[in-house]
Amino acid sequence: MAILPHHNPTLRPLQHARLSHHNSLPARIHCSTTSTTPAKPSRDQIIKQPTIINPPTALVQTSATVSARPVLNDPSLQSTWSHRVWVASGCTTVLISLAKSLTTAVDSHIWIEPILAGFIGYVLADLGSGIYHWGIDNYGDSETPFFGTQIEAFQGHHKWPWTITRRQFANNLHALARAVTFTVIPLDLICNDNAVLHGFVGVCSGCIMFSQQFHAWAHCTKSKLPAAVVALQDAGILVSRSQHAAHHRPPYNNNYCIVSGVWNEILDNSKFFEAMEMILFFKLGVRPRSWTEPNSDWTEETESKSLISEL
Amino acid sequence: MASFSLPTNQTLPSLLHSHTPKATLTLNPSLLPKSSQSQFLGLKLSNSSPLSVPSSSYVKGSIVAKIKEGSLAPAFTLKDQDGKTVSLSKFKGKPVVLYFYPADETPGCTKQACAFRDSYEKFKKAGAEVIGISGDDPSSHKAFKQKYKLPFTLLSDEGNKVRKEWGVPADLFGALPGRQTYVLDKNGVVRLVYNNQFQPEKHIDETLKFLQSA
Repeated sequence: MAILPHHNPTLRPLQHARLSHHNSLPARIHCSTTSTTPAKPSRDQIIKQPTIINPPTALVQTSATVSARPVLNDPSLQSTWSHRVWVASGCTTVLISLAKSLTTAVDSHIWIEPILAGFIGYVLADLGSGIYHWGIDNYGDSETPFFGTQIEAFQGHHKWPWTITRRQFANNLHALARAVTFTVIPLDLICNDNAVLHGFVGVCSGCIMFSQQFHAWAHCTKSKLPAAVVALQDAGILVSRSQHAAHHRPPYNNNYCIVSGVWNEILDNSKFFEAMEMILFFKLGVRPRSWTEPNSDWTEETESKSLISEL
Repeated sequence: MASFSLPTNQTLPSLLHSHTPKATLTLNPSLLPKSSQSQFLGLKLSNSSPLSVPSSSYVKGSIVAKIKEGSLAPAFTLKDQDGKTVSLSKFKGKPVVLYFYPADETPGCTKQACAFRDSYEKFKKAGAEVIGISGDDPSSHKAFKQKYKLPFTLLSDEGNKVRKEWGVPADLFGALPGRQTYVLDKNGVVRLVYNNQFQPEKHIDETLKFLQSA
């Protein structure tokens, strides 16, 4: 089950943007910083120092690097029909599972067990999101087989966390929806008419698929969120903005869960991830990224720098 | 006194601090002859003893010399961060805080080393010397010491021989070298044994408290 904050707005979409919108490119002014510290430059500084990130290298850049700044109104943030189809298919498989659970529960006159199974699915989805997030944040790189794109996207997300709030819905969810589609279709068949299993699968996969939306909401400011979402965050049903903000502060080694965040305190207090990191270090000799000083790949570039492009 | 504590809401007590030290020999009861007495690598074993289910305490007592409170610390000679050989006997005459840690440049060990550094004056005031030991080589120790400006000696226990000899227990079913600190008195006798993998700063608190109350 994949958890993908967003496809990193790397070169490909940016290149597309530059090639298709090159006439408008000179009008786009956005700023970059080469500083490795999270210092926020003044607005005056931003206005006086417009620059475009390394266009020649950007044009030949491969997906192996994470240095292409996302541009606001970048097509890479918009939903395509392919994205929408995947989200629709993911939702369909989840709804099938939930519907089967409901109908079988009605036929069998059982209620508590499927509901409990669904609740367990919701709880375990949060745990799964944390473990996956931890793995992707700390190990591998863009060249890693199968996971490379997601690893690159996660690193890009740490550098430009605000981008997720500018992504359109299907764009944000489609990768997870695709994974859910491929995973849940066989499960829908295997679970047959078992209301409990369907309850678990439906809720768990639904939460995982929508974890990206919960994640995006956790990056929004309160004033920009619907009241219902704020209420769910405050109630701890969805991951809260403050909890997730802690994940985006150095040393970037906590609060990995992004469904409800209910597991974050337990996992962090019990040093679960630290233990896993130590085991992997001693068994495989690999160091997690969170052990090293934040470098420019991790250090967040604030949104203010790119606001200039909207002026 | 080996103590063990976890922060609140801890959920891994059963996984941490496995007391079974890594024995250098493995006893397999099914391979032992059925006679009432047998010799196995110089040890007299008897079927009447609970050998069919070798208890960890039996293994500990017979095969691995575990150093505990009251034990006379066995002598060892290891290389320090500068490649110079250092013997434990060199420190006789003053208390020694000997701390075994998993590895240089890992988060817990860095916290621990820095905490010892920050309290080093207090240890000196108590007349004690602080020595860190891990399986890293001298060059790793040198870099670690320089980076964090550690004022004390780091010894290189290559192959983890001393760790095994002292019976420092591993954690997480042997996956992780244990973090254990011994306080030796001026005669080289162990007076305190403290183990805590995931709260490294507590080693400083506990050993300092012990030294100041002694």
